[in-house]
Amino acid sequence: MPGIEEIKNGLKKGFKDAVVSVEEQNPTRMFVDIKSAKVRDVSNAIVAMGGRYLVSVGYDNIARDGTLGMIHTFGFDRDGIYLALRTSVPESKPEMDSITPDIPNAGWSEREYMDLLGMRFSGHPKPKRLVLADDWPEGVHPLRKDIPWNLMPPAAEDVAYQLDECPEGCSIVPLGPYHPTLHEPEHFAIYVDGETVKGCDYRGFMTHRGIEKLCQTQLTYNEVPFVAERICGICGSVHATSYSQAVELAGGIKISRRAEYIRTIMLEIERIHSHLLWLGVAGHLIGFDTVFMQSWRIREPVMWLGERITGNRKTYGMIVIGGVRRDITDEMKDDIRNVIGTIEKELLTVQKAIQGDTAIHRRTRGVGYISTDDTKLWSLVGPVARARNVDIDVRRDYPYAAYDEMKFDVPVFDSNDVWATVLVRLVETFEAIKIIRQCLDKMPNDGPVLTELDAPIPALKHGLAAVEAPRGEVVHYVITGEKNAPERWRVRAPTYPNLQGVPLMLLNNQLADVPIIIGSIDPCFSCTDRMEVVDLRSGAAKIASQVELEELSRNKR
Amino acid sequence: MWLTSKIKQVFMVAKPGVVTLQYPFEPRPAPENFRGQPYWDHHKCIGCGGCAAHCPARTILVRDLCQELRVMVYDGSRCTYCGRCADVCPEDAITMTASYELATGSKEDVNETMELFMATCQRCGRCYDHEITNAIDRMSRIGFKYDSLEMRAVVPVSSEQFDMKLYEKTEKIKRPEKAGE
Repeated sequence: MPGIEEIKNGLKKGFKDAVVSVEEQNPTRMFVDIKSAKVRDVSNAIVAMGGRYLVSVGYDNIARDGTLGMIHTFGFDRDGIYLALRTSVPESKPEMDSITPDIPNAGWSEREYMDLLGMRFSGHPKPKRLVLADDWPEGVHPLRKDIPWNLMPPAAEDVAYQLDECPEGCSIVPLGPYHPTLHEPEHFAIYVDGETVKGCDYRGFMTHRGIEKLCQTQLTYNEVPFVAERICGICGSVHATSYSQAVELAGGIKISRRAEYIRTIMLEIERIHSHLLWLGVAGHLIGFDTVFMQSWRIREPVMWLGERITGNRKTYGMIVIGGVRRDITDEMKDDIRNVIGTIEKELLTVQKAIQGDTAIHRRTRGVGYISTDDTKLWSLVGPVARARNVDIDVRRDYPYAAYDEMKFDVPVFDSNDVWATVLVRLVETFEAIKIIRQCLDKMPNDGPVLTELDAPIPALKHGLAAVEAPRGEVVHYVITGEKNAPERWRVRAPTYPNLQGVPLMLLNNQLADVPIIIGSIDPCFSCTDRMEVVDLRSGAAKIASQVELEELSRNKR
Repeated sequence: MWLTSKIKQVFMVAKPGVVTLQYPFEPRPAPENFRGQPYWDHHKCIGCGGCAAHCPARTILVRDLCQELRVMVYDGSRCTYCGRCADVCPEDAITMTASYELATGSKEDVNETMELFMATCQRCGRCYDHEITNAIDRMSRIGFKYDSLEMRAVVPVSSEQFDMKLYEKTEKIKRPEKAGE
């Protein structure tokens, strides 16, 4: 591949001293080991060469060589190459340069490892707590190996997250953790000047369950797909597939073509029901409940179809390492054809009915605008990026499963607003139907659905896999372990980068449009927060303790 | 523009009409392949413990009361109905039934307990690993025999020999306590 050589030479020439080694796992994956001092320069060089930042992976390697590892991962969309930039810092002085000032999307990843591993990043613009609860004791870093998986420190009162300072002349509107337009608990503090949003701070992750730690310590390889599937309430197969592919890449396992086709079908069925769900939710958020009822009515047969194929309407449980668990028979193929045929017809009716509706246009056009350059700078993914004229799609750029044989269009729109995300998702649903039809026609008739492994998976191999979820790009990073279980498993859901772009989308929009803008990224977050009392005159926020709140609510008549 | 799309919307709503199902007033049987409540056939079970070793939710517990008596408990209150137990069972003793109306006031209603008489094996004594050929599905990590049935706690310690001291220790095993309880 000329692409890999080009990147390799570029890095070796520019950073002769810093680059320790370059490993090519296969033509699409490369691992570069560098010294930690140069991490910021090398990252910038990779981005300058056309790399798009994905996620960072930190891991505890103290038992082996006394270091904490850090991996920044990048994707070269044009060449279809994933690059993992590996470095490490000694446990005694776990400090390295932050890459966030140049690559803003790395902000959360770095904050995550400040919390979970106790690393320090010099030059980080916002070194606040991200993942851990506010009352979690200082100095206890749960992802380190010496911390037991079931540690539960006692809860503390009178600790609170300090919100970012409110811009002058603005008031704070707290949105969440419980709010009619938010479907999961999360907290946005929105700074408004009159009705116009001037900024926002986000506090989430409070229902962080530590499943990465749980799976690394308690479960074995083939149990993790079932936990992975439950990361997301809508796109479960995506996570299971991504995890399984990461392990398969790390262990050099080749699965049968038939299994890859079945995985593709399941992923696309999931995309149909996820996009229909989103369309309904979006309609609901702008107060257009007809869209909500009708798109969910159309969606229901897909759920029943999933139940007939896999045994469950949402948590398919189909995908394990080595292939899939259940076969798709000829009767099932006819069943799938019938169901997607009906959906195509009915969705066309819905599309025609809503496309010309001026109410929808007024609520979504020009709302949540970000320029294409900002979208690239913030490394946003999925329909959010495609609606802002960034032409990326994992299925086409880094083909996995059976996507290399599929013919489909990637819709890209350039109006850079919420309306474009509606269009992207509508077109993608029709494309998904097209892909399923191709899969059913081309699927090889023989071959096992599950490839058995002859030997255990070798330890300490790295695997990086990405899957295009309905919401965007899901990245899973696996380091294989010795005890038939992953040593490190890192999940990056598409909402992780997209949510970091939300403050930018909200900027200078109206307060009434906040729900649909947040909704337009199809957010999938879990978090809790405490309640706030805001003094509107001074604009200062005061956090009420539980005791005060109880008193307030009891005394009020 | 506005009016035509409203007319189209009326047709979109009127054509399918009412689609609400009359469940629970009308029964709604699950499809053939449904992964419902698992059922253990104690005639077929050989007590190998493969299901316990592969349960992602750790709802299946194994405890040896003595050399000959093994108790297996399925705790349905935490089951995720993934059906892996049925997949890996070498004797096909577990079936995923179509029953899904499992709401109950008592957790005991969804549990299943089996007391199995274990014949003394003259050979390796590892029936499960003998049957399963997939290297990734070998029973390699989780130990069993010593799970704490009362506390519903899996004891992840493996031992070749029956260890009386470990057995006594597991009687006192507790789940991690939540703050404030």
